[in-house]
Amino acid sequence: MLHIRCPYCQEMRSEEEFSNAGEAHIRRPPDPAALSDAEWGDYLHFRKNPRGPHREVWVHTAGCRRYFNVLRDTVSYEILDVYPAGVPDPDAPEETTP
Amino acid sequence: MPEAPGVEYREIPGRGCLNLRGDADDPTLRDATATTLGTELPTEPCSWQSSGDTRACWLGPDEWLLIVPDGEQSRVEQQLREAVSGPLSVVDVSGGFVHANLGGDNAAKVLQKSSPYDFHPRNFPPGRCVQTVFAQAGALVVAIEDGSFVLIFRRSYADYLVHWIADAAEEYGYPMHRT
Ligand SMILES: [Zn+2]
Repeated sequence: MLHIRCPYCQEMRSEEEFSNAGEAHIRRPPDPAALSDAEWGDYLHFRKNPRGPHREVWVHTAGCRRYFNVLRDTVSYEILDVYPAGVPDPDAPEETTP
Repeated sequence: MPEAPGVEYREIPGRGCLNLRGDADDPTLRDATATTLGTELPTEPCSWQSSGDTRACWLGPDEWLLIVPDGEQSRVEQQLREAVSGPLSVVDVSGGFVHANLGGDNAAKVLQKSSPYDFHPRNFPPGRCVQTVFAQAGALVVAIEDGSFVLIFRRSYADYLVHWIADAAEEYGYPMHRT
């Protein structure tokens, strides 16, 4: 049983109150029509599934019903970080405007 | 005379409630709730504010449950709609919920048996409210001024939850009052 800190309720809560909603920071491509079938398939179906730290989305289903991000080690299940939805991916390379 | 019961459960009749969503930083929302309800909107997570027969419970950073005497709902809704200029959703959800009071010396123990949340008074003193898993259903549990608890849950779960509570409270000498 995990204890997860909800960044909105600001309390440690039991895993039973939450649902996992898959990998975090997946962006919908701005122009889907410009993608090849393989690229679109990648976006829709393919996930990182790492062994180790994984950024994922959880929802506080039985509590405040908000979505938020969790950095969880998929081997030890240790929760390394928790932060609100909308925070940019800390691992993403800095965006440069052309 | 029988001993004082360790747990008392009573349905609270005559309660209405509205789900309110809006921007906690919107001054017109804060002013309107203060004027309409006589109480501030709680912005501290998992807390409530009340005035007289009215209570505002925090449900999320932009969501509250307003508990008012039955019959007041449309007045509250109308006044908020007129006064709030920012984003606003206010919905009368009275028909969907049962309000009940769980009191007595062992009330917290019944909650602890029914939920993964830490209902020890050290963690859940009066002034707090929490939405959590309760008997595998969901409930909003409010720790009120007198040390007892208000449970607010879906009407469709009422029969099941009343039986659950009766079973969980039996060892504390539970008598049931329905009003
Ligand atoms: Zn929460």
